[in-house]
Amino acid sequence: MNTMTSRIWSWLVLLVAIIYFGLPLLGTFEFSLRMLRGTYSFEAYRVVLADPQFQATFGYSLLMACATIVMGVVLVVPTAYWVRLKLPHWRPIIEFITLLPLVIPAIVIVFGYIRLYNTSSWLPLTGTAWSTDLLMVCGYTTLALPYLYRAVDTGLRSLDIATLTEAAESLGASKFTLIWRIILPNVSVAILSGAFLTFAIVIGEFVLAALLNRPAFGPYMQLMGANRAYEPAALAVIAFALTWLCMGLIQLVNRRQRHLAVPQHR
Amino acid sequence: MAFLELEHLHKHYATQTVVQDFNLNVEQGEFISFLGPSGCGKTTVLRMIAGFETPSAGQIRIDGHDVVRLKPNQRNIGMVFQSYALFPNLTVAQNIGFGLSVARQPKTQIKQTVQEMLALIKLADLGERYPFQLSGGQQQRVALARALAIQPKVLLLDEPLSALDAKIRVALREDIRAIQRSLGITTIFVTHDQEEALSISDRIVVMNQGHIEQVDTPLAIYNQPSTRFVASFVGALNILNATVSAPEQGMLQIENQTLQLQQPLPHPMGTTIQLALRPEALSLTPKENTDQTLVGQVQQVQFLGSVLRVQLKAGAQNLVLDQFNQPQLIPIQVGQTLKVYFASNQVLLLGAG
Ligand SMILES: Nc1ncnc2c1ncn2[C@@H]1O[C@H](COP(=O)(O)OP(=O)(O)OP(=O)(O)O)[C@@H](O)[C@H]1O
Ligand SMILES: [Mg+2]
Repeated sequence: MNTMTSRIWSWLVLLVAIIYFGLPLLGTFEFSLRMLRGTYSFEAYRVVLADPQFQATFGYSLLMACATIVMGVVLVVPTAYWVRLKLPHWRPIIEFITLLPLVIPAIVIVFGYIRLYNTSSWLPLTGTAWSTDLLMVCGYTTLALPYLYRAVDTGLRSLDIATLTEAAESLGASKFTLIWRIILPNVSVAILSGAFLTFAIVIGEFVLAALLNRPAFGPYMQLMGANRAYEPAALAVIAFALTWLCMGLIQLVNRRQRHLAVPQHR
Repeated sequence: MAFLELEHLHKHYATQTVVQDFNLNVEQGEFISFLGPSGCGKTTVLRMIAGFETPSAGQIRIDGHDVVRLKPNQRNIGMVFQSYALFPNLTVAQNIGFGLSVARQPKTQIKQTVQEMLALIKLADLGERYPFQLSGGQQQRVALARALAIQPKVLLLDEPLSALDAKIRVALREDIRAIQRSLGITTIFVTHDQEEALSISDRIVVMNQGHIEQVDTPLAIYNQPSTRFVASFVGALNILNATVSAPEQGMLQIENQTLQLQQPLPHPMGTTIQLALRPEALSLTPKENTDQTLVGQVQQVQFLGSVLRVQLKAGAQNLVLDQFNQPQLIPIQVGQTLKVYFASNQVLLLGAG
């Protein structure tokens, strides 16, 4: 009887959630199909995908996402490794710092950047396109930090870092060799799931790209939303699908990880 | 000149002295065990040799070269850990070949060495497996092969068998010893298991609170412990309080029973001294050289398979003896009074207590 009631309740909650989250999405999807009068069609999608602006901005954001992931990994993996190995009492502080981007709005970062690196400053990074891109990648890395750091740090937890380090060193390996050949492959799943999250963040990011005036996908979506009717709906559905794809991939790699789980000794 | 020389090693952490004035010379190809209670500094000494800790003072020389300033990855020392520490993302073969590939040896050379090592540890068919697909004993064999593949100058093992089942532990320790002998590699083996140390070492270093108590062969450690700590730490021991009654004749009183040792005692009459007797030195039947006896009352009889362990009380003092289990043995009753025979040269004198 009791299990019966709790079951009914959980189904009810699920149903409410589906209605709450799913209904608007369904509405958007339905709307995006009505570009041609009188029939349902994927015309809006065709228009969006064929738009060279779409291709350019999406490609640009894709590139930014990849650069962000590389930069994040290069920054986060050695840091998380080092903190776990040598500065374990610093972990709460480092964790707090990595969480700051969740608390401080991105707009603060951009204004900071613009103040520090404007064309009349000592380091005029906003002066050229490529250096602005660099700045943006730095900003994106900051935004991705909470997710990437947590993922990697959790991945490291299942390893006996100290002993593995000593084992590798006694075999003649340098710290760099160790991180490259042992640590990185062992947290690859964590990095991958962090990377998908980073990807999802960067693709949709608006504030940084708009204020630094770079041709990214976020501002493009905003522009479309302001000027067209059906295409923005199609874009929203595409963005949703991409995000969900990322989530699905995270689930997938995590499940594979569990399947391949390494039962660590002790 | 010994192959591995440790001279006046000291190690302090903040206020705590962990290793003090540690001196040891190890010959090439020797198998040395560090034996001692938990926290006595065994691991610390080992880690100083490997380069993971810097000595507060003292010198470490390997093959005549001072290594104190060398980093761990420059010392060419093989290390085996209690927790195996295999690289989980590499196969067995890749694990064994790791040190060689770090040293940029040619691929064919690495492959050949790995094959030799796999054969040496009797896991020739398991090269393609991952560590998590191996049992603990197999993993530790791989760890041993990985350490040996780089042909280290010294092999260091820190309680490599502690995480394994009793049966595998015995088999693997014999394998380790056999491999060590066949390669002639200078080895230091840390353990807190005295049976392990006694059974496989050329020499044992008994440690206590950061210093060396005794360095000697297993036989000498067991039969001629030089300090009270060694005597009581290695092997089971009956410790008896005795009063010197005639020092020149070696006469002692234990609970109103008289013993006569075949040596004069360096203590004045009337002093209380401590004697030690191994359980296996005591017998319930007289033998050739058992010239001494003590009488006691049986408190308990434990059957341990091949051995009967009998606990007796002589007055207020406890006495444990081991008797080989033989079918014709007369059953021993609790409460029975028994005469215990032993040879006077089996008595260890621990000094005034
Ligand atoms: N990094 C450190 N900081 C402070 N004290 C330490 C440190 N490492 C070890 N010690 C202390 O040094 C002493 C010796 O430690 P060590 O690990 O060498 O003992 P051990 O003989 O190997 O013991 P066990 O048999 O338990 O492994 C211990 O009292 C320990 O608390
Ligand atoms: Mg130890």
